[in-house]
Amino acid sequence: MTEKGGSEEQAKNDEEIIGYRQQPGKIPFSRPGSGGKNRFSEATDSELIPSSQGGSLKQPWGPHKHDEIVSGRVIGKPTALVDSSWKVTGQAHYGDDVRLPGELIGRIVRSPHHYAKILSVDCSKALELQGVVAVATGADAKNRFGVLPVTKDEHAMAVEKVRHAGDLVACVAAVDESTAREAERLIEVEYEILDSIHDMRKGLENSEEPIHDRGNYHIGESNIQKRVFQEFGDISGMAQSSIASHKKSWLFAGVNHGFTEPHAVVANWDPSGRLTLYTPQQVPHYLHRALADVLEIPMHQINVHRTFVGGGFGGKSDPFPHEMCAAILARKSGRPVRITFDREEVYWVNRGRHPSRIEMNLHADEQGRICGIETDALIDGGAFASFGHVTTYYNGVLHTAPYEIGAFHYTGARVWTNKPASGAMRGHGAVNSRCAVEVGLDDLAEDLHVDPITLRLANLLPPHSATITGFRVTSIGMRECLERVKIESGWEKKFRNLPLGKGIGIGCGFFISGSGLPIHWDPNKFPHATVHLKVDMDGGVTVHTGAADIGQGSDTVVAQSVAEVLGLPLDMIRVKSRDSDTSPVDLGSYSSRVTFMNANATISAAIQIRDKLLDATVEITGADRSGLVIGDRRIFLKDDPAVGVSYLEALHKAQEDRGALVSSGAYRTPPMGKTHKGAAAGLAPAYSFSAYVAEVTVDVETGQTKVDKVWAAHDCGKALNPLAVKGQIIGSCHMGMGQVLSEEMRYGRNGNLMNPDLLDYKIPSVHEMPEVVPIIVESNDPEGPFGAKEAGEGPLLPILPAVCNAVYDAVGVRTSELPMTPEKVFKMIEKRCRTEGVSDPTDLECPSLEYSDLQSILEKRGDEHRLRDKERRLDEERKDYYNGALFGLDPSVPPDEVDPRWEVRVAPDEEYLTSPRLAGSAWKHIERRHLEGTK
Amino acid sequence: MKMPPFRVLSPKSLDEALHMSRDLSDSGEAFDWIAGGTDLLPNYKWHINVKSHVISLSSIPELRKLSGNHIGAMVSINDLAEDAVTHPVLAKAANSVASVLIRKSGTVGGNICLDTRCYWVNQSETWRESIDWCYKCDCGTGADCRVIPNQNTLCVATYQADLAPVLMCLDATIHLASPAGTRSLPLCEFFELDGMTRNVLESGELVTHITIPEDSAEWSGDYQKLRQRDSWDFPEAGVAVLWKGISSSGPESLRVATTGLESIPSLHLEETKEALSRWRGAETIEDLAESIRKAVKPVQNTWFSPSYRRKMVKVLTKRACRDLLVS
Ligand SMILES: Cc1cc2nc3c(=O)[nH]c(=O)nc-3n(C[C@H](O)[C@H](O)[C@H](O)COP(=O)(O)OP(=O)(O)OC[C@H]3O[C@@H](n4cnc5c(N)ncnc54)[C@H](O)[C@@H]3O)c2cc1C
Ligand code: SF4
Repeated sequence: MTEKGGSEEQAKNDEEIIGYRQQPGKIPFSRPGSGGKNRFSEATDSELIPSSQGGSLKQPWGPHKHDEIVSGRVIGKPTALVDSSWKVTGQAHYGDDVRLPGELIGRIVRSPHHYAKILSVDCSKALELQGVVAVATGADAKNRFGVLPVTKDEHAMAVEKVRHAGDLVACVAAVDESTAREAERLIEVEYEILDSIHDMRKGLENSEEPIHDRGNYHIGESNIQKRVFQEFGDISGMAQSSIASHKKSWLFAGVNHGFTEPHAVVANWDPSGRLTLYTPQQVPHYLHRALADVLEIPMHQINVHRTFVGGGFGGKSDPFPHEMCAAILARKSGRPVRITFDREEVYWVNRGRHPSRIEMNLHADEQGRICGIETDALIDGGAFASFGHVTTYYNGVLHTAPYEIGAFHYTGARVWTNKPASGAMRGHGAVNSRCAVEVGLDDLAEDLHVDPITLRLANLLPPHSATITGFRVTSIGMRECLERVKIESGWEKKFRNLPLGKGIGIGCGFFISGSGLPIHWDPNKFPHATVHLKVDMDGGVTVHTGAADIGQGSDTVVAQSVAEVLGLPLDMIRVKSRDSDTSPVDLGSYSSRVTFMNANATISAAIQIRDKLLDATVEITGADRSGLVIGDRRIFLKDDPAVGVSYLEALHKAQEDRGALVSSGAYRTPPMGKTHKGAAAGLAPAYSFSAYVAEVTVDVETGQTKVDKVWAAHDCGKALNPLAVKGQIIGSCHMGMGQVLSEEMRYGRNGNLMNPDLLDYKIPSVHEMPEVVPIIVESNDPEGPFGAKEAGEGPLLPILPAVCNAVYDAVGVRTSELPMTPEKVFKMIEKRCRTEGVSDPTDLECPSLEYSDLQSILEKRGDEHRLRDKERRLDEERKDYYNGALFGLDPSVPPDEVDPRWEVRVAPDEEYLTSPRLAGSAWKHIERRHLEGTK
Repeated sequence: MKMPPFRVLSPKSLDEALHMSRDLSDSGEAFDWIAGGTDLLPNYKWHINVKSHVISLSSIPELRKLSGNHIGAMVSINDLAEDAVTHPVLAKAANSVASVLIRKSGTVGGNICLDTRCYWVNQSETWRESIDWCYKCDCGTGADCRVIPNQNTLCVATYQADLAPVLMCLDATIHLASPAGTRSLPLCEFFELDGMTRNVLESGELVTHITIPEDSAEWSGDYQKLRQRDSWDFPEAGVAVLWKGISSSGPESLRVATTGLESIPSLHLEETKEALSRWRGAETIEDLAESIRKAVKPVQNTWFSPSYRRKMVKVLTKRACRDLLVS
């Protein structure tokens, strides 16, 4: 072979880089190419490489521990969700799309009564009907379950009692839907009707027949499911130093998630005796556990298959009774069983936001500091506990930031009533009380004659500080959010200056980025999230994760994380997240934990693969390992890019002698928080912050409110996928607007839910949707994956108060009830007209505001704090900062440990009980076990 | 949600349709006419007064004619809204019906004959069972009306269609056909004050078309609708005001009609007569609006409360009269 011929051969060989054959001895083992569809590596975009790594990506918040592994591929780029083509082409299979051969259709018999004893259930007529294959009742599954291990109070079907109209009594499986529906009506149930409770205030009282019996732990003979008492900070000082106070008693209607896809489930027992349950679940793992309990089989005999989820928002995160029913019917009939809900059944299973009565008192001192927040929240849990234990805490603790406060007093109670159960919904437990706080601050600012944004800017906790409740807060982009919306909305010119009927308002938010405590195990022993990777010769990476993609894009964020670390295009990443059989245990999609925890676990798994690739590269090229970087499907020397290998070359080298590479990454939260009772509720490894300005038009003659524009700034740490973050912000605005303006689960005079359908449950239409200007603030969280925090729930919080405050700016009325339907706004306008002696509402005066001397004091403090915050965020050696420093205490020690006035209290004293607030009155009852002790 | 089984008949002409209707009545079978089905089928899904047969009017060309003065029963709401021959106020009302998708299926005939609505009846079977049913669809229980109990002679469900008030103000005539022949009557005589019977249609009788007098182009006015959302929502109140021959002493003729407030739409003749008898511009409009507010008697069975709806009728009336003052 001549030299020339050799190089020709070589050139030919080089061309054939897609697919290659090994022909030992004939031609050299051809170069494997780079992997991926495009055979040429793309040049690295320096704009996406952090400046700490020599790129041109600015880092105003300092470097990040993940900077080194940034390859500039996908993180920070607007990216279509990896499963979007399935959805837009109609090929995504949701719960009801699963079709198994021989399937039966299941239907559920529901209680027509709010509260009743079941005397008998007679299924004989139904069983005689041609086509009916199986029926089941409460007697078939007596074990209790519930999403929280501490409050398991649900059954697959009612045992002894039904607790709300729509509660499950029996179920039937038949060959088709018509037969199943006919059979449903043939099941005869005899009831003894009991006195039902519909007003949550009644739930605080003793009752002859409490809705549940907690045995020794029952609180008196009442329907109180959970009560909380918390006092932090200088409570007595609060009253002394307060010069302005805001007090308001709120009534929030319950709202439902309103997701598109009604619940649907398919259960199938295979010949080996294993159950596969296909269901659109947000939290498959808890369902997995509950199924094992209820069906009395070991967990390994169950495969929970998460289908595509047509919207969840918290409404698909409980293990549900209908899921048990499908499994029971399938076991009894030996055939697959499918149950799909009608919309009204969705409302009956509910788990939406709690109807709440919240009393909010805020106090400010002469320096415009928030010297106290006193919150009393009574929340209506409906018939079951669901997540309510946590919700009761969240209604308090989640408004102890972003402001530095002098004292915090919280009493909360959750009661059972004979209504569909409330549960977790986007912004879990934080939305209503946040609305009350932010409206309160607006009112307080009015009282103090200062601008409400200035007031907020002068009272923010600095980055890397601890809240009054002892939460460790890391990155904080609150100030930037406020400053951005202030400028972009033209606030200075508009606030209190718009004509009657036009208004502008501000609202802020603070939310957990992942609940710090896994519910089922000790976080120090078992991680929150685990992710497995497998890379075989094809170069594609298979990711096994239990993170439940519910449309928020968790598959995408996991794929992005792998792609970024390994320098691969997204199409080389295959995410397998559906089956519990193949996915490592994951807690699921709630508490805005997924991006933070799963992306971190993914990164840690990907780094292990990356290490092996780098080792292989060193082996092939002999290059210095510390100089190697990863670009698009290529590993090379940063300073001499000609020295390097393709991804596939490195991979095949790394696979020599061992085959496919595998790795496992996990995430667990650092130790945090205090130790008082309830200290874990609200703990999170990071928190998100947001500030919105809403501009509205109120028709003063009809009370109709139209939101015209929203400037929505959200600190998500780092937008891994700006497109998805913007989507979350805009979607949150829509959802929150529904709650503030029109959505409510409305109960009629006899306790029935009057609007269990999407015509009468008023979700805003496209006509109601304002222009939303999403503003992403990136505070670069030190522990977040590439700096990221949550963006799924926090963005909902500020829209409610922003709209309320804008309505005040427009017409000078403040609501204390949500939703503020046109009718309610009109009533307030009428009332204002009456008090002011104005006959035509168009003659009303616009609210105005003249600043007091405090304004400049606050401005000055805000400016000083801006510098303080900037220093803290960049200073690696920063000192501790505990809430209380603003009030003159030593920032470096937790005040409750040194100052007796700041002692933490978690139970009321005798004095408090002489005149408790509404929810606080729950503490008047004595738990049965203590009663018995005294006997 | 599944509908109970029923048979669909699809006649190709009006004659055939009437024949079919006679055959069904002769054999003692109950049936409903179905046009776009956007109202009937949701009710069927809820199992409300379902019949064993439906006769579809969708393949009958005679019913589709649309001109300035003739509107066939099967003209779609969307076509009515978009056609240049449609009176502008009627077009505005048509455009406010439901959503664009529903307007494309929904028809004028179906809109005029729309079933009355009520919180206590437009619900699923299980739901209605949980309130022990109600008079309008009592499933053989003899149940009471849940809105105005202890009377059992009247259903006060609300008529919530948008077109009727405008057509009434335009003095439209409705044309009916039955196996026994045809008849025509003023639209304002078509409705019957009962949420169940709703109108004068005899069994087997249908609406073929609506005609509008030649002078309709001389009438101007406005339609105002109250609702929570600008799409989908039925009128919680609707006010049409039309007038003609405006001069400094006020309009020569003036008509006001309302919908969404009672079991039938109403043309408010007395109130407008009173207003015209001593026209004082804005003041009269204020009085007229107040008299309309007093004239309507909504009940608690829709999204907004009756008291709010009444107050808003006044505002809507004034707004609908706005151009009356400008000109
Ligand atoms: C979500 C939703 C929102 C809606 N919003 C509105 C709204 O805002 N305003 C509004 O006015 N309507 C509204 N509707 C009601 C309805 O869609 C429209 O009124 C539509 O015009 C009805 O026409 P259709 O042809 O679909 O009627 P169908 O459902 O076919 O019929 C309705 C009734 O009329 C009878 N009928 C139909 N044609 C004839 C005929 N030629 N002769 C005799 N009887 C006949 C039928 O038997 C039936 O009882 C809404 C409906 C839905 C589902
Ligand atoms: S008005 Fe009375 S009878 Fe008519 S539907 Fe309503 S509750 Fe039933």
